Amino acid sequence: MKRVYGVSLGSSQRDHTARVTLLGEEIELTRKGTDGDLERAEALIREIDGTVDAIGLGGIDVFLYARGERYTVRDGLRLMRAASRTPAVDGSGIKDTLERDAVHYLATETKLLSAETRVLMVSAVDRFGMAEAFVELGCPVVFGDLIFSAGMPYPITTLDELADIARRLLPEMGKMPFTMLYPTGKAQEEHLDTGRFGEYYAQADVIAGDWHYIRKYLPQRIDGKWVLTNTTTGRDVEDLRQRGATHLVTTTPVMDGRSFGTNVIEAMIVALSGSRPDELGHAGYAAWLERLRLVPRIEHLGGWDA
Amino acid sequence: MSEDSKERLFAALDLFREKVNENARLRQMNRDWNRDIAVVVKDLPGVDAAISMREGQMDWRPEAASDPNIVLTAPADVLIGIFRGESTPTEPYLDGSLTLRGSQEDVLRLDFVSLMLWGE
Repeated sequence: MKRVYGVSLGSSQRDHTARVTLLGEEIELTRKGTDGDLERAEALIREIDGTVDAIGLGGIDVFLYARGERYTVRDGLRLMRAASRTPAVDGSGIKDTLERDAVHYLATETKLLSAETRVLMVSAVDRFGMAEAFVELGCPVVFGDLIFSAGMPYPITTLDELADIARRLLPEMGKMPFTMLYPTGKAQEEHLDTGRFGEYYAQADVIAGDWHYIRKYLPQRIDGKWVLTNTTTGRDVEDLRQRGATHLVTTTPVMDGRSFGTNVIEAMIVALSGSRPDELGHAGYAAWLERLRLVPRIEHLGGWDA
Repeated sequence: MSEDSKERLFAALDLFREKVNENARLRQMNRDWNRDIAVVVKDLPGVDAAISMREGQMDWRPEAASDPNIVLTAPADVLIGIFRGESTPTEPYLDGSLTLRGSQEDVLRLDFVSLMLWGE
Protein backbone atom coordinates (compact mmCIF):
# COMPACT_ATOMS: atom_id res chain seq x y z
CA MET A 1 0.00 0.00 0.00
CA LYS A 2 1.19 3.50 -0.86
CA ARG A 3 0.98 6.25 1.72
CA VAL A 4 0.33 9.87 0.82
CA TYR A 5 0.37 12.54 3.47
CA GLY A 6 -1.16 15.97 3.00
CA VAL A 7 0.24 18.66 5.28
CA SER A 8 -1.92 21.75 5.18
CA LEU A 9 -1.74 25.24 6.64
CA GLY A 10 -5.52 25.00 6.72
CA SER A 11 -7.81 24.23 9.59
CA SER A 12 -7.35 20.99 11.53
CA GLN A 13 -11.15 20.73 11.54
CA ARG A 14 -10.85 19.43 7.98
CA ASP A 15 -8.48 16.57 8.92
CA HIS A 16 -9.32 13.14 7.59
CA THR A 17 -7.93 9.84 6.35
CA ALA A 18 -9.23 7.86 3.39
CA ARG A 19 -8.26 4.72 1.53
CA VAL A 20 -8.67 4.61 -2.22
CA THR A 21 -7.75 2.18 -4.95
CA LEU A 22 -6.33 3.67 -8.12
CA LEU A 23 -5.15 1.57 -11.07
CA GLY A 24 -5.25 -1.44 -8.79
CA GLU A 25 -3.02 0.15 -6.16
CA GLU A 26 -4.31 0.86 -2.68
CA ILE A 27 -3.42 4.31 -1.35
CA GLU A 28 -3.90 5.67 2.13
CA LEU A 29 -4.46 9.41 2.12
CA THR A 30 -4.01 11.36 5.32
CA ARG A 31 -4.65 15.08 5.59
CA LYS A 32 -3.35 17.00 8.58
CA GLY A 33 -4.08 20.70 9.05
CA THR A 34 -1.79 22.87 11.16
CA ASP A 35 -4.16 25.81 11.70
CA GLY A 36 -1.98 28.32 9.90
CA ASP A 37 1.12 27.44 11.94
CA LEU A 38 4.03 27.36 9.49
CA GLU A 39 6.52 26.10 12.09
CA ARG A 40 4.21 23.21 13.01
CA ALA A 41 3.76 22.34 9.34
CA GLU A 42 7.51 22.39 8.81
CA ALA A 43 8.09 20.19 11.88
CA LEU A 44 5.43 17.73 10.73
CA ILE A 45 7.00 17.47 7.28
CA ARG A 46 10.41 16.76 8.82
CA GLU A 47 8.80 14.12 11.05
CA ILE A 48 7.11 12.21 8.21
CA ASP A 49 9.90 12.76 5.67
CA GLY A 50 11.14 9.37 4.56
CA THR A 51 8.21 7.47 6.09
CA VAL A 52 5.58 8.05 3.36
CA ASP A 53 5.63 7.82 -0.43
CA ALA A 54 4.73 11.43 -1.18
CA ILE A 55 3.75 14.62 0.62
CA GLY A 56 1.16 17.11 -0.59
CA LEU A 57 1.47 20.71 0.60
CA GLY A 58 -1.98 22.15 1.13
CA GLY A 59 -3.33 25.56 2.04
CA ILE A 60 -0.28 27.14 0.48
CA ASP A 61 1.23 27.55 -2.96
CA VAL A 62 4.88 27.16 -3.76
CA PHE A 63 4.61 28.45 -7.32
CA LEU A 64 2.22 30.94 -8.94
CA TYR A 65 2.01 31.53 -12.67
CA ALA A 66 0.96 34.23 -15.12
CA ARG A 67 1.66 34.14 -18.86
CA GLY A 68 4.64 31.81 -18.71
CA GLU A 69 6.25 33.55 -15.73
CA ARG A 70 6.67 31.54 -12.55
CA TYR A 71 6.71 33.27 -9.16
CA THR A 72 7.88 31.61 -5.96
CA VAL A 73 6.16 31.84 -2.59
CA ARG A 74 8.94 31.88 -0.02
CA ASP A 75 7.00 30.18 2.79
CA GLY A 76 5.81 27.47 0.40
CA LEU A 77 9.36 26.80 -0.76
CA ARG A 78 10.47 26.57 2.86
CA LEU A 79 7.92 23.78 3.45
CA MET A 80 8.87 22.00 0.25
CA ARG A 81 12.53 22.02 1.26
CA ALA A 82 11.71 20.62 4.70
CA ALA A 83 11.25 17.25 2.98
CA SER A 84 14.63 15.98 1.87
CA ARG A 85 13.81 12.29 1.23
CA THR A 86 10.12 12.16 0.33
CA PRO A 87 8.97 14.19 -2.68
CA ALA A 88 6.76 17.13 -1.64
CA VAL A 89 4.43 18.79 -4.15
CA ASP A 90 1.96 21.69 -4.09
CA GLY A 91 -0.37 20.65 -6.93
CA SER A 92 1.05 23.09 -9.47
CA GLY A 93 2.51 20.18 -11.44
CA ILE A 94 -0.96 18.98 -12.46
CA LYS A 95 -3.14 22.08 -12.14
CA ASP A 96 -2.32 23.38 -15.58
CA THR A 97 -3.42 20.16 -17.28
CA LEU A 98 -6.21 19.03 -14.95
CA GLU A 99 -8.00 22.36 -14.61
CA ARG A 100 -7.57 23.43 -18.23
CA ASP A 101 -9.03 20.07 -19.29
CA ALA A 102 -11.87 20.43 -16.79
CA VAL A 103 -13.02 23.68 -18.42
CA HIS A 104 -12.89 22.16 -21.90
CA TYR A 105 -14.76 19.09 -20.67
CA LEU A 106 -17.54 21.24 -19.20
CA ALA A 107 -17.82 23.18 -22.46
CA THR A 108 -17.98 20.12 -24.71
CA GLU A 109 -19.66 17.48 -22.57
CA THR A 110 -22.20 19.52 -20.59
CA LYS A 111 -24.54 22.48 -21.03
CA LEU A 112 -23.06 24.32 -18.07
CA LEU A 113 -20.46 26.31 -19.98
CA SER A 114 -20.47 28.27 -23.23
CA ALA A 115 -18.85 31.40 -24.64
CA GLU A 116 -21.68 33.45 -23.10
CA THR A 117 -21.11 32.16 -19.57
CA ARG A 118 -19.99 34.98 -17.28
CA VAL A 119 -17.22 33.84 -14.96
CA LEU A 120 -15.98 35.22 -11.65
CA MET A 121 -12.60 33.62 -11.09
CA VAL A 122 -11.70 34.58 -7.55
CA SER A 123 -7.99 34.15 -8.11
CA ALA A 124 -6.20 33.28 -11.33
CA VAL A 125 -2.48 33.26 -10.52
CA ASP A 126 -2.93 30.02 -8.59
CA ARG A 127 -4.92 28.48 -11.50
CA PHE A 128 -3.58 30.08 -14.62
CA GLY A 129 -4.46 27.07 -16.80
CA MET A 130 -8.11 27.35 -15.80
CA ALA A 131 -8.03 31.11 -16.40
CA GLU A 132 -6.60 30.70 -19.88
CA ALA A 133 -9.14 27.99 -20.72
CA PHE A 134 -12.09 30.27 -19.86
CA VAL A 135 -10.61 33.02 -22.01
CA GLU A 136 -9.94 30.62 -24.90
CA LEU A 137 -13.62 29.65 -24.79
CA GLY A 138 -14.57 33.30 -25.15
CA CYS A 139 -16.17 33.65 -21.71
CA PRO A 140 -16.32 37.13 -20.18
CA VAL A 141 -14.15 36.66 -17.08
CA VAL A 142 -13.52 38.78 -14.03
CA PHE A 143 -10.27 37.81 -12.33
CA GLY A 144 -10.65 38.67 -8.66
CA ASP A 145 -7.03 38.41 -7.56
CA LEU A 146 -6.92 41.94 -6.11
CA ILE A 147 -10.46 41.79 -4.75
CA PHE A 148 -10.06 38.58 -2.79
CA SER A 149 -6.44 38.87 -1.65
CA ALA A 150 -6.32 42.57 -0.72
CA GLY A 151 -9.92 43.77 -0.70
CA MET A 152 -9.31 46.12 -3.65
CA PRO A 153 -12.48 46.68 -5.68
CA TYR A 154 -10.64 46.25 -8.96
CA PRO A 155 -11.86 43.57 -11.35
CA ILE A 156 -9.16 42.44 -13.78
CA THR A 157 -10.74 41.51 -17.10
CA THR A 158 -7.87 40.50 -19.37
CA LEU A 159 -5.00 38.05 -19.09
CA ASP A 160 -2.61 40.79 -20.23
CA GLU A 161 -3.54 43.02 -17.30
CA LEU A 162 -3.40 40.04 -14.95
CA ALA A 163 0.13 39.27 -16.14
CA ASP A 164 1.15 42.93 -15.79
CA ILE A 165 -0.17 43.16 -12.22
CA ALA A 166 1.42 39.81 -11.35
CA ARG A 167 4.79 41.05 -12.65
CA ARG A 168 4.56 44.10 -10.41
CA LEU A 169 3.29 42.41 -7.27
CA LEU A 170 4.30 38.78 -7.07
CA PRO A 171 8.11 38.97 -6.97
CA GLU A 172 7.81 40.97 -3.73
CA MET A 173 4.56 39.60 -2.32
CA GLY A 174 5.95 36.08 -2.59
CA LYS A 175 8.45 37.04 0.10
CA MET A 176 5.76 38.09 2.57
CA PRO A 177 4.35 35.75 5.22
CA PHE A 178 1.81 33.61 3.37
CA THR A 179 -0.73 34.17 6.13
CA MET A 180 -0.96 37.80 4.98
CA LEU A 181 -2.00 36.77 1.50
CA TYR A 182 -4.36 33.90 2.03
CA PRO A 183 -6.76 32.67 4.73
CA THR A 184 -5.12 29.93 6.76
CA GLY A 185 -6.12 28.07 9.91
CA LYS A 186 -9.14 29.50 11.71
CA ALA A 187 -9.58 32.19 9.08
CA GLN A 188 -10.73 29.39 6.77
CA GLU A 189 -13.62 28.65 9.09
CA GLU A 190 -14.80 32.25 9.17
CA HIS A 191 -17.45 33.31 6.78
CA LEU A 192 -17.87 36.98 6.16
CA ASP A 193 -21.56 37.46 5.45
CA THR A 194 -21.02 41.13 4.89
CA GLY A 195 -22.45 41.56 1.44
CA ARG A 196 -19.10 43.05 0.45
CA PHE A 197 -18.21 42.59 -3.23
CA GLY A 198 -21.64 41.07 -3.79
CA GLU A 199 -21.86 42.76 -7.19
CA TYR A 200 -19.07 40.58 -8.59
CA TYR A 201 -20.89 37.41 -7.53
CA ALA A 202 -24.19 38.81 -8.82
CA GLN A 203 -22.74 39.55 -12.25
CA ALA A 204 -21.42 35.99 -12.73
CA ASP A 205 -23.03 32.73 -13.84
CA VAL A 206 -20.18 30.64 -12.48
CA ILE A 207 -17.90 31.28 -9.54
CA ALA A 208 -14.59 29.51 -10.02
CA GLY A 209 -11.30 29.03 -8.26
CA ASP A 210 -10.01 28.61 -4.74
CA TRP A 211 -12.74 27.52 -2.35
CA HIS A 212 -11.59 29.61 0.61
CA TYR A 213 -11.59 32.76 -1.51
CA ILE A 214 -15.01 31.86 -2.95
CA ARG A 215 -16.55 31.56 0.48
CA LYS A 216 -14.77 34.64 1.85
CA TYR A 217 -17.52 37.01 0.69
CA LEU A 218 -20.08 34.47 -0.52
CA PRO A 219 -23.53 36.13 -0.50
CA GLN A 220 -26.48 34.57 1.28
CA ARG A 221 -28.13 33.85 -2.06
CA ILE A 222 -26.43 32.66 -5.23
CA ASP A 223 -29.53 31.35 -6.95
CA GLY A 224 -28.97 30.04 -10.44
CA LYS A 225 -25.19 30.05 -10.21
CA TRP A 226 -22.79 27.14 -10.14
CA VAL A 227 -19.40 26.75 -8.55
CA LEU A 228 -16.18 25.26 -9.95
CA THR A 229 -13.62 24.51 -7.28
CA ASN A 230 -12.20 21.71 -5.13
CA THR A 231 -11.35 20.90 -1.48
CA THR A 232 -15.02 21.13 -0.50
CA THR A 233 -16.39 19.11 2.40
CA GLY A 234 -19.91 17.75 2.89
CA ARG A 235 -20.68 20.80 5.01
CA ASP A 236 -19.57 23.12 2.23
CA VAL A 237 -21.79 21.30 -0.26
CA GLU A 238 -24.77 21.72 2.04
CA ASP A 239 -23.93 25.40 2.48
CA LEU A 240 -23.91 25.93 -1.30
CA ARG A 241 -27.20 24.08 -1.59
CA GLN A 242 -28.77 26.33 1.08
CA ARG A 243 -27.61 29.42 -0.80
CA GLY A 244 -29.30 28.29 -4.00
CA ALA A 245 -26.36 27.14 -6.15
CA THR A 246 -27.46 24.84 -8.96
CA HIS A 247 -24.31 22.73 -9.27
CA LEU A 248 -20.98 22.14 -7.62
CA VAL A 249 -18.28 21.01 -10.01
CA THR A 250 -15.03 19.77 -8.54
CA THR A 251 -11.92 19.29 -10.61
CA THR A 252 -10.60 16.60 -8.31
CA PRO A 253 -12.31 13.33 -7.36
CA VAL A 254 -14.56 13.13 -4.32
CA MET A 255 -13.45 10.50 -1.82
CA ASP A 256 -15.25 9.92 1.47
CA GLY A 257 -17.54 12.86 0.73
CA ARG A 258 -14.89 15.47 0.09
CA SER A 259 -12.85 16.58 -2.86
CA PHE A 260 -9.13 16.64 -2.34
CA GLY A 261 -6.76 19.42 -3.28
CA THR A 262 -4.63 19.17 -6.38
CA ASN A 263 -1.61 18.81 -4.09
CA VAL A 264 -2.96 15.48 -2.86
CA ILE A 265 -3.76 14.27 -6.37
CA GLU A 266 -0.27 15.26 -7.53
CA ALA A 267 1.22 13.49 -4.51
CA MET A 268 -0.82 10.36 -5.37
CA ILE A 269 0.58 10.40 -8.91
CA VAL A 270 4.12 10.77 -7.57
CA ALA A 271 3.49 7.85 -5.19
CA LEU A 272 1.98 5.67 -7.91
CA SER A 273 4.72 6.44 -10.41
CA GLY A 274 7.60 5.98 -8.01
CA SER A 275 9.27 8.89 -9.80
CA ARG A 276 10.37 12.21 -8.47
CA PRO A 277 8.34 15.25 -9.62
CA ASP A 278 11.16 16.64 -11.77
CA GLU A 279 11.49 13.26 -13.51
CA LEU A 280 7.76 13.23 -14.27
CA GLY A 281 7.60 16.73 -15.71
CA HIS A 282 4.61 18.16 -17.54
CA ALA A 283 4.35 15.26 -20.01
CA GLY A 284 4.66 12.64 -17.29
CA TYR A 285 1.89 14.19 -15.22
CA ALA A 286 -0.32 14.53 -18.30
CA ALA A 287 0.19 10.84 -19.11
CA TRP A 288 -0.75 9.82 -15.57
CA LEU A 289 -3.84 12.05 -15.59
CA GLU A 290 -4.83 10.39 -18.86
CA ARG A 291 -4.41 6.95 -17.28
CA LEU A 292 -6.44 7.96 -14.22
CA ARG A 293 -9.19 9.36 -16.47
CA LEU A 294 -10.05 12.13 -14.04
CA VAL A 295 -13.03 14.13 -15.20
CA PRO A 296 -14.82 16.86 -13.26
CA ARG A 297 -17.41 15.65 -10.79
CA ILE A 298 -20.71 17.44 -11.26
CA GLU A 299 -23.09 17.49 -8.34
CA HIS A 300 -26.58 18.84 -8.90
CA LEU A 301 -27.55 20.82 -5.83
CA GLY A 302 -31.17 21.44 -6.69
CA GLY A 303 -31.10 25.21 -6.91
CA TRP A 304 -33.19 26.67 -9.67
CA ASP A 305 -31.54 27.48 -12.98
CA ALA A 306 -31.62 31.21 -13.71
CA MET B 1 22.06 66.36 8.73
CA SER B 2 18.61 65.84 10.23
CA GLU B 3 17.33 68.94 8.43
CA ASP B 4 18.63 67.45 5.20
CA SER B 5 16.89 64.11 5.94
CA LYS B 6 13.68 65.94 6.72
CA GLU B 7 13.81 67.86 3.43
CA ARG B 8 14.58 64.68 1.51
CA LEU B 9 11.70 62.85 3.20
CA PHE B 10 9.25 65.64 2.44
CA ALA B 11 10.45 65.76 -1.18
CA ALA B 12 9.98 61.98 -1.39
CA LEU B 13 6.43 62.32 -0.05
CA ASP B 14 5.73 65.01 -2.66
CA LEU B 15 6.98 62.67 -5.37
CA PHE B 16 4.92 59.79 -3.99
CA ARG B 17 1.78 61.96 -3.95
CA GLU B 18 2.39 63.06 -7.52
CA LYS B 19 2.88 59.47 -8.73
CA VAL B 20 -0.15 58.10 -6.85
CA ASN B 21 -2.46 60.87 -8.06
CA GLU B 22 -1.42 60.70 -11.70
CA ASN B 23 -1.90 56.91 -11.84
CA ALA B 24 -5.43 56.32 -13.15
CA ARG B 25 -5.36 52.61 -12.33
CA LEU B 26 -4.36 53.26 -8.72
CA ARG B 27 -7.08 55.88 -8.39
CA GLN B 28 -9.60 53.30 -9.54
CA MET B 29 -8.20 50.62 -7.23
CA ASN B 30 -8.30 52.89 -4.20
CA ARG B 31 -11.58 54.66 -4.83
CA ASP B 32 -13.12 53.11 -1.69
CA TRP B 33 -10.01 53.26 0.46
CA ASN B 34 -10.31 56.29 2.73
CA ARG B 35 -7.55 56.00 5.28
CA ASP B 36 -5.27 58.12 7.45
CA ILE B 37 -1.69 56.97 7.67
CA ALA B 38 0.80 58.21 10.24
CA VAL B 39 4.44 58.28 9.18
CA VAL B 40 6.72 58.09 12.21
CA VAL B 41 10.38 58.81 11.52
CA LYS B 42 12.34 56.79 14.04
CA ASP B 43 15.59 58.73 13.87
CA LEU B 44 14.07 62.21 13.51
CA PRO B 45 12.14 63.00 16.67
CA GLY B 46 9.51 65.66 16.11
CA VAL B 47 9.33 65.07 12.36
CA ASP B 48 5.98 63.61 11.39
CA ALA B 49 3.88 63.22 8.31
CA ALA B 50 0.19 62.47 7.97
CA ILE B 51 -0.91 60.85 4.72
CA SER B 52 -4.56 60.85 3.81
CA MET B 53 -6.16 58.69 1.13
CA ARG B 54 -9.56 59.91 -0.03
CA GLU B 55 -11.44 58.43 -2.98
CA GLY B 56 -8.26 57.40 -4.73
CA GLN B 57 -6.43 60.68 -4.17
CA MET B 58 -3.50 61.04 -1.83
CA ASP B 59 -2.42 64.06 0.15
CA TRP B 60 0.00 64.56 3.01
CA ARG B 61 0.78 67.16 5.64
CA PRO B 62 3.91 67.67 7.79
CA GLU B 63 2.18 66.95 11.09
CA ALA B 64 1.28 64.07 13.37
CA ALA B 65 -1.81 62.17 12.25
CA SER B 66 -4.65 62.00 14.74
CA ASP B 67 -6.32 58.60 15.07
CA PRO B 68 -4.60 57.00 12.04
CA ASN B 69 -5.74 53.69 10.50
CA ILE B 70 -2.14 52.71 9.75
CA VAL B 71 1.09 53.66 11.50
CA LEU B 72 4.24 53.35 9.46
CA THR B 73 7.46 53.56 11.47
CA ALA B 74 11.01 53.45 10.06
CA PRO B 75 14.26 55.40 9.90
CA ALA B 76 14.25 58.32 7.46
CA ASP B 77 16.44 56.61 4.87
CA VAL B 78 14.14 53.60 4.70
CA LEU B 79 11.07 55.81 4.29
CA ILE B 80 12.77 57.95 1.65
CA GLY B 81 13.75 54.83 -0.29
CA ILE B 82 10.19 53.51 -0.24
CA PHE B 83 8.50 56.80 -1.17
CA ARG B 84 11.00 57.42 -3.96
CA GLY B 85 10.50 53.90 -5.32
CA GLU B 86 14.17 53.06 -4.82
CA SER B 87 13.30 50.15 -2.55
CA THR B 88 10.21 48.09 -1.88
CA PRO B 89 8.61 47.90 1.57
CA THR B 90 9.04 44.12 1.65
CA GLU B 91 12.66 43.74 2.73
CA PRO B 92 12.59 46.44 5.46
CA TYR B 93 9.31 44.95 6.68
CA LEU B 94 10.82 41.48 6.86
CA ASP B 95 14.06 42.61 8.52
CA GLY B 96 12.13 44.68 11.05
CA SER B 97 13.43 48.11 10.08
CA LEU B 98 9.94 49.04 8.88
CA THR B 99 6.96 48.36 11.11
CA LEU B 100 3.38 48.65 9.95
CA ARG B 101 0.54 48.79 12.42
CA GLY B 102 -3.00 48.47 11.17
CA SER B 103 -5.45 45.88 9.95
CA GLN B 104 -3.90 43.14 7.85
CA GLU B 105 -5.95 44.18 4.84
CA ASP B 106 -4.87 47.83 5.12
CA VAL B 107 -1.22 46.88 5.51
CA LEU B 108 -1.39 44.56 2.50
CA ARG B 109 -3.15 47.22 0.50
CA LEU B 110 -0.48 49.80 1.29
CA ASP B 111 2.12 47.32 0.05
CA PHE B 112 0.12 46.79 -3.12
CA VAL B 113 -0.07 50.57 -3.74
CA SER B 114 3.69 50.89 -3.48
CA LEU B 115 4.36 47.87 -5.70
CA MET B 116 1.77 48.87 -8.31
CA LEU B 117 3.46 52.24 -8.50
CA TRP B 118 7.06 51.15 -8.66
CA GLY B 119 7.11 47.40 -9.07
CA GLU B 120 8.51 45.84 -12.22
